[in-house]
Amino acid sequence: MQPQFSKAEAPKTPEGALVHDDSTAKWFLVSSVAYFFIVGIIAVIIAAKFVWPDLMGTMSWLTYGRLRPLHVNGMLFGWLLAADMGLAYYIIPRLCGVKLWSEKLGVATAVLWNVIILGAVVTLLAGQNQGWEYAELPWYLDVLVVVAWILFGLNVLMTVATRKHQAMYVTIWYTMGCVLWTAFVYLTGNFATLFTTGTNQANLNWMYVHNAVGLIFTPIGLGIAYYFIPRASNTPLHSHKLSMVGFWSLAFVYVWTGAHHMIHGPISQWLQTIAIAFSVMLLIPVWAVVYNLFATMKGQWHQLRESVPLKFLMSGIVFYLLTCFQGPMHSLRTVNAIVSKTDWIPGHAHMAVLGCFSFLAIAGTYYTVPRMWNKALHSDVLANWSYWMLMIGGLGFFTTLWLGGFWQGWQWNNWNIPFIDTVIALKPIWIVRFLSGILMFIGIVMFAYNIMATVLGANEEAAA
Amino acid sequence: MFKKADNNALWAIGISLALFFIGGLLTTVVPPLVDTSWAKPFENHDPAKGMTGKVSPLTDVQKKGRAIYVREGCWYCHTQQVRTLLADTKRYGWRGVDAPISTPDEFVYDDPHMFGTKRTGPDLARVGGKYDTQWHRTHFRNPRDLVKGSIMPPYPWIVNNPEEFNALVAYLQSLGRGKDWRPANDYEK
Repeated sequence: MQPQFSKAEAPKTPEGALVHDDSTAKWFLVSSVAYFFIVGIIAVIIAAKFVWPDLMGTMSWLTYGRLRPLHVNGMLFGWLLAADMGLAYYIIPRLCGVKLWSEKLGVATAVLWNVIILGAVVTLLAGQNQGWEYAELPWYLDVLVVVAWILFGLNVLMTVATRKHQAMYVTIWYTMGCVLWTAFVYLTGNFATLFTTGTNQANLNWMYVHNAVGLIFTPIGLGIAYYFIPRASNTPLHSHKLSMVGFWSLAFVYVWTGAHHMIHGPISQWLQTIAIAFSVMLLIPVWAVVYNLFATMKGQWHQLRESVPLKFLMSGIVFYLLTCFQGPMHSLRTVNAIVSKTDWIPGHAHMAVLGCFSFLAIAGTYYTVPRMWNKALHSDVLANWSYWMLMIGGLGFFTTLWLGGFWQGWQWNNWNIPFIDTVIALKPIWIVRFLSGILMFIGIVMFAYNIMATVLGANEEAAA
Repeated sequence: MFKKADNNALWAIGISLALFFIGGLLTTVVPPLVDTSWAKPFENHDPAKGMTGKVSPLTDVQKKGRAIYVREGCWYCHTQQVRTLLADTKRYGWRGVDAPISTPDEFVYDDPHMFGTKRTGPDLARVGGKYDTQWHRTHFRNPRDLVKGSIMPPYPWIVNNPEEFNALVAYLQSLGRGKDWRPANDYEK
């Protein structure tokens, strides 16, 4: 394998060029990679609890019910959103041709974000759970999230406002869209829910849960893909027009679909039908994006062999296509009657958040860290291994949970099978899930170690 | 319209928010205004009009039990909704009586809602009255003593705390009881 960033090729800054400080991006990325590793341990533990239910079961704060929200919130906000924000702090100034509006404010935002995540660890283990999925954190941490998001948004929007290049590349729209939509989506899921009960509250909760993925992680994740795929392959984007179709249809279609989490449930049938119709329409923005990025790589696919960031990027896009094909299909009433509430659902969720959006964020981290620290990546071989571990572990995890979930759904539909028999039948599935989880965790350790070794190595050299 | 958003950030922001708010408002603010059953607690005393019953707010003890249910994350593995599927009404029925389908008017006092998304364990929408207190005591101490092959965690710290245990059982026994769905009124205590 060819080294990606050999020492001789280490990026040099041309004379007189704009020098980016990047301290905000560095803080966000380093802390997010650390959380990826720490929360990865929790992920393996809860997967093990499916196989050995008594494991660590005598201490209240180590039970499944306490660790699961920590796993979900830690991965979503500690790792993924923080990494995405870090990458946005890197990308936006470069696309705008100016320095970040305020590095000081950015570093303060990174510190605040770490306070929130550490607060989340303490409160969730103590059982301070608000009772809404993805919105478990107590209200005072929610307020801090809003403050941090305003600081992030302010920095992004002010950088865009002071830009040198008038035309905005698609990544800028996606990042601005993420900043704005997230504000309203988050307020709906964490504050509007306080004033409602029952079905009405559930409807707001699912609007938030669905759009946390659809209007937070999707736009910023796709923004990252749109930036790094052409950069890492040194190839221009296939079509500007198609990227417009993808973005504006996403802006319109996504928000309607929250009620598809309650299909066949205690919520109005007409609202379910609307959610299903718009879920199917999601195929439009998805296909526009996937086609555009695949067409960009036309004739360039051989580059994947040499480049770990490109491997992660294009695999992420394939998983995006698969997830977003699955989503509309299992929103259909007939399919939903089989897969809803089964292990299919975590299989689907992990493909979106790990297979797609985390792969894109990992790619961005591998791409930017050597450039920001002006240093070759610690080990290209290890980076390649981290890809294969995450890929094989991920595929093992997704496919077994889909098959298991489908099987479970068929069993549930035969009410003569006692429920406990459907649990016992899934045990082999959960063993494979645990082993796949171990592989993914090894991949995470390799990734985190590689990044940290690169970063710390850079400091040693500077001190020498 | 969209071309202008390429160069004009304010224009891009304006359209993004406008498109978002069309769907945002129509799917969150409008539905409870159109479908008033979301906010009207179930109540029917006339057998000719269908199943009788009345949904009431929880007592203080039941509320305490509910808080434990939320705290321990029971809702990650147990849903509370009998869906409009024959399999659900059959599976979650009891002693030959089908469970009635869950309707929005049964959940008006639920805060936070506990509908759930995943059934690692069985649905609990109609669990109220199916098992007696002693069963729950044994089951919470170690679920595998009663249900071989179960993967539910043991909860000794709840069983060993009579106040918490009684509150949690009081809450569980209230589930699904807003509708008088058992003709023989044979609820366990």
